[in-house]
Amino acid sequence: MKKHFYQALAVLCGLLLLLLGTNVYAQTKITGKVTDKASGNPLPGVTIVIKGTNRGTATDPNGTFSIQAKPGDVLVASFVGFDPKEATVGNGPVSITLSEKVGSLEEVVVTGYASQKKKDLTGAISVVKVDNLTKQPTAQISSQLQGQVSGITVLGSGQPGEEPKVQVRGVNTFGNNTPLYIVDGVPIKSLVDLNPNDVATMQVLKDAGAASIYGARAANGVIIITTKRGTGKVKVSYDAYYGRQVPKGGNVYNTATPLEQGYLAWAAMKNTNLRNPPDQQIPIADAQYGSGPVPVVPDYIAPSGVMNGDPAADPSKYYVNPFYTDPNEVGNFYRISKANKAGTDWFHEIFKPAPITSHNVSVAGGGDIGNYFFSFYYFNQQGTLTNTYNKRYAVRANTNFNVTDHIRVGENMEYSVISNPQIGALTEGSGIGMAFREMPIIPVYDIKGNYAGSGSKGLGNSRNPVAIQDRFGSTKTLANRLLGNVYAEADILKLFTLRTTFGGEIYSFDNHSFTYPEYENAENNSKNSYADNTGNGYDWTWTNTLSFHKNWHNTHDLKVLLGTEAYQDISRTAGGTTNGYFIFDPNFTNLSTGTSTPTNYSGYGENSLWSTFARVDYAYRDKYLLGALIRRDGSSRFGSNNRYGNFPAVSAAWRISQESFMKGLTWISDLKIRGGYGVMGNQINVDPANVFNAFSFNKASSFYPLTGGDLYTGYNQFRIGNPNAKWESNINSNIGIDATLLKGHLEITADYYQKVVKDLLYNPELAGVYGGATVPYSNVAKMKNNGLDLSINGNTMLSKGLKLDVTGTFTTYHNVILAVSNGADYFDSDQRRFGSPIIRNMVGHSISEFYGYKIIGFWNSDAEVKAANDAAKKIYPDLDQYQKDMARGRYRYADINGDGKVDASDRTFLGSPIPKFSYGLNIGLSYKNFDFSMFLYGVYGNKIWNQVSWWTDFYGSFAGAKSKAALYDSWTEDNHNAKLPVQETKSYASTASEPNSYFVQNGSYLRAKNMLLGYTLPSTSLRQLGITKFRVYVQAANVFTITKYKGVDPEITGTTTSFGIDEGAYPSQRQYLLGVNVTF
Amino acid sequence: MKIFKYSGIALLLAGAMLSSCSKNFLDKPSYGALTENDMATKAGIKVMLIGAYAALDGQAPGNNALGGSGSGWMASPTNWVYGSVAGGDAHKGSESTDQSDINTIAIGQESSTNTFINAKWKAVYEGVTRCNITLRLLRQTKDMTADEKKQVEAECRFLRGHYYFELKKMFNNVPLITDTTTDVMQPNTVNIWPFIEADFTFAMNTLPETQTEVGRANKWAAQIYLAKTLLYEKQYPQAYTLFQGAINAGVTSNGKKYALVPNFEDNFDASKKNGPESVFAVQMTANDGTGSISNANAGDMLNYPYNSPFGCCGFFQPTQDLVNSYRTDSISGLPYIDNYNDPGNVVKNDMKVAADAAFTPDAGYLDPRLDWTVGRRGLPYHDWGLHPGAKWVRDQNSGGPYAGKKMIFWQYNQNLYRDNNSWAPGSAINVVLIRFADVLLMAAECAVETGDLAGAEAYVNQVRGRIADNPASWLHKYVVDTLPLKGFSTTDLAAKYKISRYPDSYFASQDQARKIVYFERKLELATEGHRYFDIARWGQAGADMMNKFYQYENTITTDLVGGIYKVKRNEYFPIPQRQIDLSIKNGKSVLTQNSGY
Repeated sequence: MKKHFYQALAVLCGLLLLLLGTNVYAQTKITGKVTDKASGNPLPGVTIVIKGTNRGTATDPNGTFSIQAKPGDVLVASFVGFDPKEATVGNGPVSITLSEKVGSLEEVVVTGYASQKKKDLTGAISVVKVDNLTKQPTAQISSQLQGQVSGITVLGSGQPGEEPKVQVRGVNTFGNNTPLYIVDGVPIKSLVDLNPNDVATMQVLKDAGAASIYGARAANGVIIITTKRGTGKVKVSYDAYYGRQVPKGGNVYNTATPLEQGYLAWAAMKNTNLRNPPDQQIPIADAQYGSGPVPVVPDYIAPSGVMNGDPAADPSKYYVNPFYTDPNEVGNFYRISKANKAGTDWFHEIFKPAPITSHNVSVAGGGDIGNYFFSFYYFNQQGTLTNTYNKRYAVRANTNFNVTDHIRVGENMEYSVISNPQIGALTEGSGIGMAFREMPIIPVYDIKGNYAGSGSKGLGNSRNPVAIQDRFGSTKTLANRLLGNVYAEADILKLFTLRTTFGGEIYSFDNHSFTYPEYENAENNSKNSYADNTGNGYDWTWTNTLSFHKNWHNTHDLKVLLGTEAYQDISRTAGGTTNGYFIFDPNFTNLSTGTSTPTNYSGYGENSLWSTFARVDYAYRDKYLLGALIRRDGSSRFGSNNRYGNFPAVSAAWRISQESFMKGLTWISDLKIRGGYGVMGNQINVDPANVFNAFSFNKASSFYPLTGGDLYTGYNQFRIGNPNAKWESNINSNIGIDATLLKGHLEITADYYQKVVKDLLYNPELAGVYGGATVPYSNVAKMKNNGLDLSINGNTMLSKGLKLDVTGTFTTYHNVILAVSNGADYFDSDQRRFGSPIIRNMVGHSISEFYGYKIIGFWNSDAEVKAANDAAKKIYPDLDQYQKDMARGRYRYADINGDGKVDASDRTFLGSPIPKFSYGLNIGLSYKNFDFSMFLYGVYGNKIWNQVSWWTDFYGSFAGAKSKAALYDSWTEDNHNAKLPVQETKSYASTASEPNSYFVQNGSYLRAKNMLLGYTLPSTSLRQLGITKFRVYVQAANVFTITKYKGVDPEITGTTTSFGIDEGAYPSQRQYLLGVNVTF
Repeated sequence: MKIFKYSGIALLLAGAMLSSCSKNFLDKPSYGALTENDMATKAGIKVMLIGAYAALDGQAPGNNALGGSGSGWMASPTNWVYGSVAGGDAHKGSESTDQSDINTIAIGQESSTNTFINAKWKAVYEGVTRCNITLRLLRQTKDMTADEKKQVEAECRFLRGHYYFELKKMFNNVPLITDTTTDVMQPNTVNIWPFIEADFTFAMNTLPETQTEVGRANKWAAQIYLAKTLLYEKQYPQAYTLFQGAINAGVTSNGKKYALVPNFEDNFDASKKNGPESVFAVQMTANDGTGSISNANAGDMLNYPYNSPFGCCGFFQPTQDLVNSYRTDSISGLPYIDNYNDPGNVVKNDMKVAADAAFTPDAGYLDPRLDWTVGRRGLPYHDWGLHPGAKWVRDQNSGGPYAGKKMIFWQYNQNLYRDNNSWAPGSAINVVLIRFADVLLMAAECAVETGDLAGAEAYVNQVRGRIADNPASWLHKYVVDTLPLKGFSTTDLAAKYKISRYPDSYFASQDQARKIVYFERKLELATEGHRYFDIARWGQAGADMMNKFYQYENTITTDLVGGIYKVKRNEYFPIPQRQIDLSIKNGKSVLTQNSGY
């Protein structure tokens, strides 16, 4: 690493020295003024640059400027939202009028290692409207991206700081689908730490024609971000908002009241007895609800089912030591808790309204010697779930220096500090997961203010959600990250540009937490322990490019780029756990103060890439455009046999509108057809150790107490190596159309693509005879995606001063698995509490489809049961039952294969969590000083597996809180049209112990993600105060969600091969904000 | 021009520097792990062999099963699910919905997609793999003498023999993978008994009588395992000879002459482990510094009374059928082999009796081994107090009223042998895979089948005599019921006990002798994970026992509805469907499903 760093420095310095010292011409001071063509008003902040140089300035609040220039120089005036204009310096002051830009054809788009005007693009590149992005009140750029560009799918949650799952154009791998993020030319691992306010441009390279320049890392798509630069006079901006976030209201889990719960228990026991033979009748009784003809809600739940006045509830008997250190002590506790007869609303005991604050200050400016941008960011989002939050500070300094007219050097740097403890949602055992399981009869606290819980009979085995979240408060996290790059760039002979850039990131993190002993639950963790987990690492990228650009008489335009790139990534972790603490004071507990033997661990990892690449873009008369590129990548993750891979791509475009026969069609401003074909690679899922047959030990599984006492060191093979793994090839073809109509008031981009992932790297489960060592990645799988991306932008003046701007995006893709491994044609995941898994990834189907029995009704009578059994036994004399556990009132499953019986082979695909399409709609309205915007996002056609209902809708599932649906919408002799089967004390294959279609629910939704109303104070009144702009706004986020999904939130994430299972989501919250933007 | 030239040179230079070092730049070593070359050494082999032993417990970190599928308890070396619950010694326990895959195993109706059997298969094949890799590396090792290599080979092959024995008795038809197999996609059509015999024979002929560490296999353990193999193959005369040899001359790895320990319960006491009765045991240890209970019998972590000082989870509750089996005749002191479930012999239980309602335990005569096997309401549960009945039971309706006892640690020395590094406890009680009482009863079985009825009687009576002759070792009442740590009375027994040796007349016919031997195995080895495999070995007689068991136990609890044992099906578990699916070669699975599934 060190060596490369010095090499980089040497080259950089060398370039500077070599290229210093060009001529300086005699110059005089030229003044001028820039005005808006439409209104005639002066335009402040317009950048004025002398063409062919880096020298420039900006207009002041009165629209005037002055610059050192000589007659004959050409000044270029450019301003965001306006078409740039050139003016030649004469003898007097220069007067320039700018017209507002309509359409985005001239917009400069940053592509890989270069930039192009939008009209010249041949690849599929989406440009993100950064203004719309930052309107979403979150510190996560990737969350803000949802619905803003076509071709990208973003799945997140309401948890502050949780990085959402971002997919560009479908599913490209079975593992990590995260796109490659390039910030100011440097690839970074994630976007979480980047300050959204610093983003200047953002573009998404979607097809091979655009992305293959990133070769081995392009397959998941590439998102390129550039951060802001300063121009003109010093400009200070302050942007802030403060708001209140409110969790979803109401009875979110449809939980039954304590009394209803009792009635459900009675119903279930009676239903069970109806089925049991006379000698197996169970007593209708419950430890809490008594044994009478009807259930009675007791006064006390601990001791179980005790009424007022009972000596068992005598407070003098109470004994609980919440901070006990001897695990045996918990057996002696005597708990007394009153019943909460009204029912505890556990969801709202842990989800509370919470504030959100954001402050961002930036200072920017620039002139002919360079420019600077500085920002400071403070963000503090408290989660609506107790003790979750995301607190960050970030400082950015971007500076660029024009050393001479032909030499530029600069840097971009951000340092951020983040504290963001996160819980694991969507899984059993989290605080959220307990909020729908802990019975509402249990109060939050017992009679002495300690936690109450399931620790007495008849209350199931769930854990107190409030206690879980309170104790989670001991989790502290701190992460630092320094991110950025330095570069030097030189123009040579006007045609060549040489650029070297060195950048990367350095990060460190530390998380520690204390696990308190529990005493309130049926199953208590009786051990206290402290855990620390820390790590650090860095990665660097060193890129050198030489580019050439020449235009011959506006006929031939040729751009050539050659480059090399080296990348190195190094990480280190260390941590440990100790237990046996005498007191739990956070000032005392650390790894050294526990009395038991500490455990520790550390790890080191390293991987690298070495690449060369070339790109050619040719345009004939700005009409026929051709692009070709190739990248050759070498990766340390592969063995020397297959270390290098080549990733070529070609793309072409035809601007039909430039043809003479189109000139008559004035309503078409621009029309372009694009096509591309190429190969992209992927390697991130492959562990750097993939090539090695590795031997190591684990004290828990390879050490052995040979004498029944101390452990003896033992080793085993823990990884099977695959020296032959090679690059996966994502073969991509794309055809697209860009149309700019009605003088730029309507822009349409549509792309259809197909991606075939060949040699897909996957580590399929191997047969048991291979042993339990980690399975290597090998090129066994295959997958295909095709899809359509569509985006439309329209803007118009509705009437004088009332401007409407609408952007719509539409994304749809179809994913199909073509191969999984050489052996099996499927792999399963997520069995949860069922007898078989919920998700099957199978050849011929899309990824992560739900799998199980299909319900076709109920067994409504014993006669139906008997008839089905008799018919089945005619074919299969040995068969016990037509369908396992079939009985009156239970589900009837479809005999999918039609073999006359229902068994495991009749399980079928029940739906996919992949939406048929998703869409976003940005509507912007401005009238005089008011501006209004709204953003709608929706998905359609996806399914969600509602695992919450496994816990709450079936009395026979694990004991715990149950839903009203279980009581009122289950099968009875009088209600054959119910949703749920007969309630019983046990769960059966024909009710809820096997995955079935009951759990599959419609996941479509439409959400108003954002509504905002702003008012800009008239600038004239503020000018005396030195304020250029003052805008205030009110905003509501997640205003409403229209969905049929019965869970808390229809946005359910997961992993690539297993998502859409809702077992307690962290729902997004409604946010009400007040914000200001001030510019000085 | 000059500028261009120089900068071009600079770029070329930079490129050249990078490409010249790029070769090394992309060559990364294996960090934090060793390679085959490191392991094929004397030092490497030493630790690889320990690794092969470490697979005996079937446990991986995080309460997972070794081999990468399922939870630790699915691969417990005690086989409490596959041997004891499947065989009717115990109910699954807990609640009906908890670990529901065991429900179908308990009634003999498990399907090939049952996750438990897949986890067990994978855990045991990881054991096989560790042995095979060690043997393969051993051949490449240069710094060991031929003799040293032979010793390692023998220990390794003993372990491999054990792993294959587990697979054979559970699944019958399994693929045979050896240290020379290059393609592991082997069919399961080869009978692997001869291979298991060969491994144990080599071990028997090579291993020393004693070892420096007691956990290592010795010559006699190998001989007994070989004899057990032959017994399962019904080669009784050969098996009998080997058993007799070991019974007469065998010693444990720590040099103790094989014997029954005087106190029956010492076999299940962590402080007395590795005694003369322990032929081969999975060694367990508590609080070993790993921060987990993986080496502390994690496979049985669920099997402690619920709502009790143990924390979790109320699984593995002995059946009423088993409890009734311990009823003895008040005069003869012998069990009711044919009619132990008759109403007059049923042991009184506290089913459906609330925790705070009064209950008086059974007043009839019982085999004292009952109360070292089963925790009953109102009797001392080791030194944890009187078993409080329903309070410690999660759901009597499905699991019955009892608690297991053999793998429960004691309170007074729990600091040494209890492991709290998980949400349920671990313990340092060894899992004795073969104990000497088992050897005697296996020898008795061989004796019956070879017509040596006197020999059979002698072995059975030796087993019965140990407990019969030592009333001091029977369960006594506490000195003070509420202060169990004060110890036990020396005079007041916890229940009425009566047990005697069989008189000669009982061994007059082979049929009767066989029944007695079968029944004695049930009594002596209950809940130790053998029952279901014994049943399979006993053919129709075993099937009848199981079906009678289902019939009777269904009158007590609700968890065994639909239980049926079918001959030519239930002798073996199904080959896990997942393994069939993962063993595709040339488009077809190399594995064939067992009959009946």
